[in-house]
Amino acid sequence: MSTRADTIVRMGDWAVSADPDDSLVTIGLGSCIGLVLLDRVRRVAGLAHVMLPQARPGQAAELPPQARGKFGDLAVDALLDAVLDAGARRLGLEAALVGGAHMFNFGANQLDVGARNEAAVREGLAAARLPVKAAATGGNKGRTVRVHVGDGRVLVRAAQGADELLVKGSG
Amino acid sequence: MAAKYTEQQLDALRELANIGSGTAGTALSSILGRPVDISVPSVGAMELEEAVEAVGDPGQEVRATLVPIKGDLQGSALLIFPPDDAATLCGMLGVPADGEDGQSALAEIGNILCASYLMALGQMLGMEIEPCPPETAWDLLGAIVATVLLGQGESEGALLLDSDLVVEGESCGLSFLLLPAGRGITDLLERLGL
Repeated sequence: MSTRADTIVRMGDWAVSADPDDSLVTIGLGSCIGLVLLDRVRRVAGLAHVMLPQARPGQAAELPPQARGKFGDLAVDALLDAVLDAGARRLGLEAALVGGAHMFNFGANQLDVGARNEAAVREGLAAARLPVKAAATGGNKGRTVRVHVGDGRVLVRAAQGADELLVKGSG
Repeated sequence: MAAKYTEQQLDALRELANIGSGTAGTALSSILGRPVDISVPSVGAMELEEAVEAVGDPGQEVRATLVPIKGDLQGSALLIFPPDDAATLCGMLGVPADGEDGQSALAEIGNILCASYLMALGQMLGMEIEPCPPETAWDLLGAIVATVLLGQGESEGALLLDSDLVVEGESCGLSFLLLPAGRGITDLLERLGL
């Protein structure tokens, strides 16, 4: 194994890499969604850490692209533009989703941010005609996701669990 | 952007946290029959992203008890136990930390500490504050804190009132976080005349 550098993607942020030695990592996704876009032939990957389903009305216009990963309704387009700029092919792209857990009931308050985040991101992917290759979403456990740019492997680890292969490597 | 508070407002909130955690510490001490030390609370207003990282390493697995708060003050109380400390604490209460007994013990500690903390605040401010039933998690710290803040409706900034309680003579402690929701902070400060 080569020595890999981890790029940590913080809440509300996104990152893209075309360096096969890179890994894109998000630690501690609860109700947040980790949105992965991969072109496994060109070896380009992107990861966004989505916090909330929608931006406030009128807020989108004032957000620079780097701040758009925060919202489910804006993250897909922002990340798509970035992976295309980094050399991915539009038709070679696949998506994977991680997170969106329902960890607490908040005294029976029905605000399930996790499920709403997932729905918003899936809607964005459908509108952009990007296929969802795999998903590890819902449940009540937080998750960490690691995307290996070189071979397109996506590993997910739930709290108190072991690494699980969500998307297999391509060689 | 995170809301901005004056030094005077933050001092007042720090004093509230001090009184609340002092009362919670006394309650913990009487449950355990041992003295409990309380740190000087830290109070900070910050962006959501920073708030999650300010609590600690987001990848660390911790035990947590969440007590949602309703009434005149909206928000959450969140108790964070490092797993070894949770085990020590459960040991003092004579229950195994793993499994349902340990989970109920941590939920009950959260319940009692939170009720004491909030009662002290309520009496001082003349507010009706209602703790909801506790919920527990054993999860990644970052996932817990982010999910609580986002779940209570924060979208920009967060206010953290963080106190540490340590059982004397044992390596056993917990963090007590009071996370007032957006409107709750304004109400709190109005009551203080600030």
